[in-house]
Amino acid sequence: MNEQPLKIMVIDDENIVGKRLKPALEKTGDIVEAFEEGETALARFAQEPFDIVVTDIRMEKIDGIEILERILAKSQRTKVIIITGYATVEIAREALSKGAFDFIAKPFKPSDLRQIIERASKELRS
Amino acid sequence: MSIIIIASDTAEIEHSIAQKVAAAMDYQLLDRRILEDTAKKYQIDPGKLADAMKTTPSLFKSLSSGQWRYLLACVEAHVLDRLLADKIVCCGLSAHLYVTGVSHALNVRILSGDDSQSEKERENRLQQRKKWSMAAYNEDETELSRYDLVINLDQIDPAEAVKTITGAAGYRKFQVMTYSMKCLSDLALAARVNVALLKTMTDISVQARDGSVIVSTKAGNRQKRKKVETIKELAGKVEGVRYVEVHVKKNLLGVTTG
Repeated sequence: MNEQPLKIMVIDDENIVGKRLKPALEKTGDIVEAFEEGETALARFAQEPFDIVVTDIRMEKIDGIEILERILAKSQRTKVIIITGYATVEIAREALSKGAFDFIAKPFKPSDLRQIIERASKELRS
Repeated sequence: MSIIIIASDTAEIEHSIAQKVAAAMDYQLLDRRILEDTAKKYQIDPGKLADAMKTTPSLFKSLSSGQWRYLLACVEAHVLDRLLADKIVCCGLSAHLYVTGVSHALNVRILSGDDSQSEKERENRLQQRKKWSMAAYNEDETELSRYDLVINLDQIDPAEAVKTITGAAGYRKFQVMTYSMKCLSDLALAARVNVALLKTMTDISVQARDGSVIVSTKAGNRQKRKKVETIKELAGKVEGVRYVEVHVKKNLLGVTTG
């Protein structure tokens, strides 16, 4: 049975992250949109919710924790995965307390993120 | 799911609370009973192992500083490997001093309501533990700000303490995540490498990340090359190690350190 493709949003102000993750995540047939600015991403999310949002934490204007809160306020079923190059116990715990699905430190392999997305996908489809 | 590490200035109270928390949460209890397995695994004297957990080396004791560090490293490596399994309550193994930076490890300090000891005895015991923890891990275990939760049994009865701990362990912030599991597996790998090196060397410090290991050590100019080669060879044999980098500081005393 064919499953519906997941709609995945990637938000990172480092252009290279979206460029690398988009094709890697699209390999399994999912639909991926990459954004470099939180505001643009949130505006897009307001038009149409995504199943999964992968967001960096440290970004100008809106940080990843605010994105997490605003996404979950709009769509509780969306799984938000935090990625960061500045991981600490405090930030990780804060992200989880605020509802992040998972938290992963950069650098990571696309396959590591894929595994998290598979888990998120199982929860979404259960 | 999380790891709960319970520490107290009184071993009996620490164990009793840990046992009750493990039973209440249906978690496995990891306590000093594993020291026998540790001794078997690394073929060391279990008596010395237990001794190393409570005393510091001195000129008047049979345990040298190098042996002491090796014994503690064996315990650390064994405990960290067991903690990778998750859903564990750990006590009596000083894990609160080396399970650092792992967000799903809830560190609890129980301040004992032990009336049988005088204030002076209690103070002496705290000073001993402070001295031991500073010598072993450069951490002051009596510093309460390093714990996630501190419970004073003079004010809270043990049953309430158990409820408080199990309640806190249920907070989302203490749940396992990809980052925290990776931190824990990096610590476990560094600990395994540490054991492999401390068996024959001293002045070793190991950090690991994703199978890459950085070993910091000291050596005189003459021993530097040989020491680097030996470290690379020994560390490279440890399961899970993909790459070894060695940083050598000059040993100003010119003493051979392994």
